[in-house]
Amino acid sequence: MLERAEPLRGLGRSAGWVAARRQQIAAQNAPLVVAGALLVAMLVIYIVLYSVSLGSFPGAFEAASITNHAMPLCLAALGQTLVILTRGIDLSIGGMMDVSNSLAALKLHGGFGVEALWTVLILLIGAGGGLLNGVLVAFGRLQPILVTLGTFSIFQGVALWILPSPGGHVAGGYTNFFLDPKAPSALVWVVILGLAWAVLRRSRLGVNIYAIGNDENAARANSVPVLRTKVLAYALAGLLAAGAGIALATTTTGGDATAGDVFTLSSIAAVVVGGVSLFGGRGSGVGALCGAFVLTLLVDVLFFANIDPLFQPFYQGLFLVVAVGASTLLGRHLVRRR
Amino acid sequence: MSEPAQPAGHEPRQATGGQPRDAALEGIDIRKSYGGVVALDDATFRAAPGEVHALVGENGAGKSTMIKALAGVIRPDEGQIRIRGEDVRLRSPEHALRRGVATVFQELTLLPRMTVAENLLIGREPRGHGRIIRRLEMPDVAAQLLAEHGVESVDAGELVENLALAQQQLVEIVGAVMREPSVLILDEPTSALARREVEWLFGLVRRLRDQGTCVVFTSHRWSEVTDLADRVTVFRNGTDVGTQEQISEEEAVRLMTGRQVSTAYVEPEEEPEREVVLEARELSASGLHGVSLSLHAGEVLGIGGLEGQGQRELFHALYGLAPADGEIEIRGERKRLHNPREAIAAGIAFIPQDRKAEGLLLPMSVRDNLTLPILRRVAASGVLRPAAERGAAREMIDRLHIDARRPGQPVGTLSGGNQQKVLLGRWLLADSHILLLYDVTRGVDVATKQDIYSLILDLAREGRAILFYSSDTEEIAHLCHRVLVLREGAIAQELQGEISSEEIIGASFREETHA
Amino acid sequence: MSATTESQPAPSGLRTILNPDRRKIIYGFVAAIGLFIIGEIVKPGFASASGIQQILEISSFVGIVAAGQTFVILVGGIDLSVPWVLNAAAIVLISQSAGSNGKLAIGIVLALVLGLACGIVNGLGIVLLGIPAVVMTLGMNGIVEGLSLGVTHGLSCGGCLKPAPTALVNAMTGKTLGIDTSLLIWIGIIIVVSFVLSFTTFGRRIYAVGNSERVSFLAGVNVKLVTVTLYALSGLFAAAAGIALAGFGGSATLGMGDPYLFQSIAAVVIGGTYILGGRGHYLGTVAGAIVLTTLISVLLAKSAPDYARDIVYGVVILAILLLYGRQRSEA
Repeated sequence: MLERAEPLRGLGRSAGWVAARRQQIAAQNAPLVVAGALLVAMLVIYIVLYSVSLGSFPGAFEAASITNHAMPLCLAALGQTLVILTRGIDLSIGGMMDVSNSLAALKLHGGFGVEALWTVLILLIGAGGGLLNGVLVAFGRLQPILVTLGTFSIFQGVALWILPSPGGHVAGGYTNFFLDPKAPSALVWVVILGLAWAVLRRSRLGVNIYAIGNDENAARANSVPVLRTKVLAYALAGLLAAGAGIALATTTTGGDATAGDVFTLSSIAAVVVGGVSLFGGRGSGVGALCGAFVLTLLVDVLFFANIDPLFQPFYQGLFLVVAVGASTLLGRHLVRRR
Repeated sequence: MSEPAQPAGHEPRQATGGQPRDAALEGIDIRKSYGGVVALDDATFRAAPGEVHALVGENGAGKSTMIKALAGVIRPDEGQIRIRGEDVRLRSPEHALRRGVATVFQELTLLPRMTVAENLLIGREPRGHGRIIRRLEMPDVAAQLLAEHGVESVDAGELVENLALAQQQLVEIVGAVMREPSVLILDEPTSALARREVEWLFGLVRRLRDQGTCVVFTSHRWSEVTDLADRVTVFRNGTDVGTQEQISEEEAVRLMTGRQVSTAYVEPEEEPEREVVLEARELSASGLHGVSLSLHAGEVLGIGGLEGQGQRELFHALYGLAPADGEIEIRGERKRLHNPREAIAAGIAFIPQDRKAEGLLLPMSVRDNLTLPILRRVAASGVLRPAAERGAAREMIDRLHIDARRPGQPVGTLSGGNQQKVLLGRWLLADSHILLLYDVTRGVDVATKQDIYSLILDLAREGRAILFYSSDTEEIAHLCHRVLVLREGAIAQELQGEISSEEIIGASFREETHA
Repeated sequence: MSATTESQPAPSGLRTILNPDRRKIIYGFVAAIGLFIIGEIVKPGFASASGIQQILEISSFVGIVAAGQTFVILVGGIDLSVPWVLNAAAIVLISQSAGSNGKLAIGIVLALVLGLACGIVNGLGIVLLGIPAVVMTLGMNGIVEGLSLGVTHGLSCGGCLKPAPTALVNAMTGKTLGIDTSLLIWIGIIIVVSFVLSFTTFGRRIYAVGNSERVSFLAGVNVKLVTVTLYALSGLFAAAAGIALAGFGGSATLGMGDPYLFQSIAAVVIGGTYILGGRGHYLGTVAGAIVLTTLISVLLAKSAPDYARDIVYGVVILAILLLYGRQRSEA
């Protein structure tokens, strides 16, 4: 009877109502706001420490460096967000980054045609790996943490097979186009990612992803194609992970089949700092992007604060725990006051 | 009677068999088994367009299975489902919905961390340029939809999980109704609703009926059945045993149980005032304002009032689930109850309404569930003593006639009524002398309810003190020695002696009267 | 949609004894035996008495770490801090005992206390601050890694490079009553942990919490205490494994704990413990640890390249999952 319903027409809006609604939306997106605030805070601290240390303000070069450095994590975090929103988790992101990193270092040179072709191929391979994850989780009805634990290992092995020892490089022209080391052109990519997220959020697929993360059974009862959506979410995550691996190869001096490993856990950290709920159904990819930048800036902040680099993991771990703990406590406090 | 809406392309066939009216929805000679257990045994159900049809029966009689078959949730082993006279094989509830049959189950299908608007408009969101969803508009569109159906109390921009259960149910119902189904099935629709909302629902159902929609509903509340239904079908033992337009409660119970069961309540005996077992003074918390009460041994003290007036908060405060100001004394001893453990140690037991989520560990055995709070008693220095455990479990199973083939079987395999008995058995085993019973008969069928009533009165006679809350005012009126009616978190009135449900309801609305 | 409220037939007696959880444990051991047979075919002598003992000894390290992992997974948690708690404990042992047998006891105690402390902090963060286990233990791993690397200047401080005290080395590499001592220790752990899970009130509470925190809480179980205790135990076991490995290998090295994260989780999963908690047993984990180790050994016997090991690991996990890891649909 009502298979293809006519989308309902909107009403005329009064200014007062819009304002009240906007306030409500802000309250409902508190974690995103917090992530943004954290980013701003981190930027301020960075700028202060930089100028105190070096006597001048950071400029275009530093902005480029930070953005390029953050790119791999941005892409990985975005992929992780998609999966976590469906109430899953993707531990294989690091492994897929290993694979694409290795392939990129081996193949991304030799002229525009070759480079373009291989870029597409690598992204497709990423999507394929993600597809495997998605099929196993959705159709196999297996737990995401375990499936992706298994595929993580498989991808690591494949990466080692592709590139048994570090080497290779990405063509200079390619690097300059995507992640120019001298100018922060990569910020454009970040903006594009943010916009792409906003579009996804307002699409059928986006709504389906959020619905599944809320309650799979309820989603199914609301005609959400659960299986198809899950598979797509994991496939997209794989694709983004592959992109992250390419970005990694582009920013580092050579390929390394194990360089991506650490990104599994740091993508989760970025997502969590960005306010995405690990239980699914809540959070924004823009938050994850903020989280990625926050974590990247943290490394620089530690550097300028003259923290022994060996202690870096300590501060990163501490930051993660404190950030999440504080936001959970804050959330609880707000709920109690209602 | 108006013509039911006809979807394009479907020619209605005359229902065979010389039925008195064209049926909107039929389940004919349905058979369904689970494992070796027959749930439906040649059951037939017919509902006509433009009528309100109640489906009643005990738990286990097959009515929920029938509903599920009609809703497309399960597929019958044999038999035929017909929609507007046409044979169908329903693959899923969504398929049924596309054929015009919408169902609202007790388990809500709302997405909790999304807004009411996102829930109502899923699949038909307002779109803008490039088919991008216009998220800012959605709350207004949804608000209009809600208003069209007479729902004003729900904020369309609010997250579903922040709504009260009753409001969520309203949203769920509107979600189904706005699809303009030709058949609306409501499974226990009033379980979470308060009086005002029940009236809204009744109005809605009657409007739908007058427009030609067929409304099928199940309920354990007889007053609703008589108020609302045009016809009643009774199920027993997996099949239909009668369909009538007028049926008395006795007649219905007789059909449901196959025997004469007294539906009169067992009244409590008049007990002289015994010792005060629990004394609460000026209990205050969020939703509770200075409630004081005394609970005596052997007494069943009822807590009445409209839904959401502080009853839940009171129970939680007495069980250590919520911090509360004020004093609590157990047998004269001042106690601070910070958590359930301390309450249990003081002899208090809490039996919640939702036994699956709050009462029992379904995959664990009957025995494990029974002994959970008293593990120390069946153990020596932390090591469990199997013989002691078995003995304790056996004692309860026998005493309460729990129908479990073996104590080691998972409690999830028991019927609802028996699960409730296991829950009660746990606290009897723990020697709790103060029982907080919170809406324990909701969703329980008539025969088991009777068992529970007798059990409650037995326990009172033994000297235990019982605090009793039920969403069914009749129950409170009949079972309790005294009733405290709560209004906005404070006691509005205390009723004693022969209490009627009208008195309770009246006190729920009135300002505090001085007796 | 809703679980049926009607009665379902109770499983017959034999089927309860051999319930799905127990069956998985049996399958695990069967798989281990099968792998031994394959190993023997590939390389005769693989499954000889000494060959089997050798593999069991290597499994013991995974098995010890996985004991803690089993505990936390049973309540629906996970411990990602295992790699560096293990490593840090080994470093503490080495540096505090400074190569001398006299100071071995104090070294062991301090290392175990470290593990316990990390675990307690994990547990407190999870129950008091509401931090998800993944995040808390991940953060803890970083914290311990940073502290270990920073304080020891990248493991180049004098005390860290000393060899393990000979008493420990002899214990871990020697035999007692004809059986490898390290294996005996593991057997002892197996007995204790299995007993706790199956026959004590604490064990019963673990399963209750794993099935439903809410129900357990309402029934008077101290859910917070149980949870913190389990994370403390996980830290303790990780530290114990670090001590054992320091003795076995003779020293503490950087990254020595890294392989044990994957392996401990894999062992638990292969052993049939449900990742969401409430079902499973350490005996299954034991089988899982043995299966994993035997698998690597078979591969090594076939001179498979490094990368093949990773791929096979992953494929095995997926195969096991497909065999019996199917998520039950919401009941």
